[in-house]
Amino acid sequence: MNRRVARIALLCCFGTGWLGAQDHTNVIRNPFDTPEDVAAGQRSFRSQCAACHGPDASGAAGPSLTTGSFRHGNSDEALYTVITKGVEGTPMVAFKLDGREVWQLISFLRSANVAKGAGQAPGNPGRGAQIFNDSGCAQCHTAGKPGGFAGPDLTYIGSRRSLIQLETALLDPSAEVDPDYWSLRGRTKTGQTITGTRMNEDTDSFQILDSSGRLRSVWKADLATYEILRTSPMPSFKGKLKPSELEDLVAYLATLRGPSGREGQQ
Amino acid sequence: MKRLALTAALTAIMAGLLSAQVPFDRLLRAVDEPQNWLTYNGSLQSTHYSRLNQITSENVANLSLKWVWQAQSLEKFEATPLVVDGVMYVTEPPNTVAAIDTGTGRPYWIYQYPMPETTYVCCGNVNRGLAILGNTLFLGTLDAHLLALDATTGRKKWDTKVAEYTHGYGITVAPLAVKDKVIVGPAGGERGIAGFLAAYDAQTGREVWRFNTTAHPGEPGNETWAGDSWKTGGGSVWVTGSYDADLNLVYWGTGNPGPDWNPALRKGANLYTDSVVALDADTGKLKWHYQFTPNDEWDFDSVQVPVLADITWKGQPRKVILWGNRNGFFYALDRTSGEFLLGKPFVKQTWSSGIDEAGKPIKAPGKSPSVAGTDAYPGVQGGTNWYSPSFSPGTGLFYLTAWEDYHTTYFQWDQNYEPGKSFTGGAARAPFQSLKRDPFIKWGPEWGYGVVRALNPATGEKVWDYKMRDVSDAGILTTASDLLFSGNREGYFFALDAKTGKELWKCYLGSQVASAPITYTVDGVQYVSIAAGHSLFTFGLGRTGELRH
Repeated sequence: MNRRVARIALLCCFGTGWLGAQDHTNVIRNPFDTPEDVAAGQRSFRSQCAACHGPDASGAAGPSLTTGSFRHGNSDEALYTVITKGVEGTPMVAFKLDGREVWQLISFLRSANVAKGAGQAPGNPGRGAQIFNDSGCAQCHTAGKPGGFAGPDLTYIGSRRSLIQLETALLDPSAEVDPDYWSLRGRTKTGQTITGTRMNEDTDSFQILDSSGRLRSVWKADLATYEILRTSPMPSFKGKLKPSELEDLVAYLATLRGPSGREGQQ
Repeated sequence: MKRLALTAALTAIMAGLLSAQVPFDRLLRAVDEPQNWLTYNGSLQSTHYSRLNQITSENVANLSLKWVWQAQSLEKFEATPLVVDGVMYVTEPPNTVAAIDTGTGRPYWIYQYPMPETTYVCCGNVNRGLAILGNTLFLGTLDAHLLALDATTGRKKWDTKVAEYTHGYGITVAPLAVKDKVIVGPAGGERGIAGFLAAYDAQTGREVWRFNTTAHPGEPGNETWAGDSWKTGGGSVWVTGSYDADLNLVYWGTGNPGPDWNPALRKGANLYTDSVVALDADTGKLKWHYQFTPNDEWDFDSVQVPVLADITWKGQPRKVILWGNRNGFFYALDRTSGEFLLGKPFVKQTWSSGIDEAGKPIKAPGKSPSVAGTDAYPGVQGGTNWYSPSFSPGTGLFYLTAWEDYHTTYFQWDQNYEPGKSFTGGAARAPFQSLKRDPFIKWGPEWGYGVVRALNPATGEKVWDYKMRDVSDAGILTTASDLLFSGNREGYFFALDAKTGKELWKCYLGSQVASAPITYTVDGVQYVSIAAGHSLFTFGLGRTGELRH
């Protein structure tokens, strides 16, 4: 009780603009983090934030807030500042909320990230890590320690995907491919074949990472034909792993929640 | 005594030099002095058309960069500058004004408004520009003040509080000077404001008249609001209107009703939201109105620039307003009477099954926002939005920036009003971030794309399209040499053949264009300026960097 009172006292300092003068060796903790606070935060989110960030915080006009990391800082203090001060140069303006409402919003955002991530997996994560290494996954994926860059970085995948999503990605990699990993396949007017990961596009050109590992730009006007492939080059594990091995690999992926192991921390 | 007389004489001379730089008569005839850009919309008719013709389809490929003005702010640069006799006046976000020499790009002065610690506008601390009258510039601020600045020095003449900013009111619109008054209104359609247009004495800043865009008790239209819902009914004002001197009418578009996505909380047509209102310029009295989207459910602000054109309508000359609306329909209205002449979709839309003969839209079933989410076209940023359109008397075509094949999932829930807080009654989820993004385009083209679209104003039929991969927030400029200038979110500034839509020239500026291009002359030489990202770029014929002074 006394601790909570102390934290509320600290909160009052925020309210008087003292935040900027904080000693940053003292970590600011959220004093409103009960299930009731989360529920209140969800109500505030709907009325104040959902118009831009979507009804479930997964993004709309504004970015998703359920990816496990926040662009302007992952600490409670950073979130508090963004909500109450806004972010210059973006449509994120300051919100007129009292301190309690802001902390409750932060509690809701934390819960939304936990809820989106994987739950308790039945497999053995240690054996899953071995399968990950033995299968050559690191050739294309980074997972906490250095690995390949061709596929998505899996360092935080456990806080961003549910168990069923992880399993589906292993069995049917093309089921849902992030547009970041769509690829270009085309043929130039001079007959040259061009393939690569599409990194960007505009009316006139593509920017790709081509199949030889080179960054290059391609004019659409120079292409006789082209298509954007929304499939994954990753081989499926379907039929290649025993059900128990699949469970182990999913369990390992579910543990990948960033270097600190804390939800949403980077 | 002698010295006093000399001082008095000097003062009189200075006053003569500094005052009446832009009397209203010059604004009335702005199209006749294309060497300048005297109002936000280029003229009081708001056609975004210039009689300049030095830059042509033959030489436009030789355009080169003359100078760049870099704003100190990271906010989106949405302003359209003014150019008055060799000086450009431009607003940088949040509320900074710069007076820049058009020949060199060097500043004469910069005025920085002292901002409050926080502001409560919904969608970025932006500003769209200024008005000038006499030797005074007029600036609306994000904390809902109207300022008069001396155009020679940038010093403040007066400061009038227009509304209470802590309750969600803010000014982002460029004011409009009409006769001896300056007209503005507040943004805040997502904050539960009760909107209005108000005219202020240009000399003193005293309010002269006010027209409520959510009709108050005792005013016609209040019956279109259930209970007290008019008090939080929105009707914001955030894009500049137009003026017809012959009719002495000011035309202005109004914003969405609030809360945006829950019409059950404000049953009725909600006058005068999502409307064009024609007001007597002297009294603010309503002459006529037309409501584009009664009881709006999708956030279809009708803040678009009212384009005043004189066209042939069914064989007869007619004074009309041309209007590409956020709701996806193109309209032609008689601007004398407000008579509905034409309403035709210009992009894919599913919210309406058509418009009846009286001009009232018929809502399509099953397209209302819902708890589970409802898909509807156009999406939440609309078929078009606040981007300045253009009408060229040369080609006879109406041009607008449109978002084609673009939809949104609209959600709805209950919401209580609290002053200054978000008041939307739901949410809208589009396939890509609809306000500002990083410079990547990765979504599928099936989720929507941008076009510059030319329409026949007499029929609403499409004449040509200039298709872009990304959507666009850029306005449009046309010239007497049948060129069309615009830009897009990809960061390109380009020139098209206004007759065919063929691309003639293009330059990558490195960031989103969210403003309208203008043209003017420096020492008799035609220049074109456009803001992109955090900078304003000026182009002309001849060598890159070649300055005139």
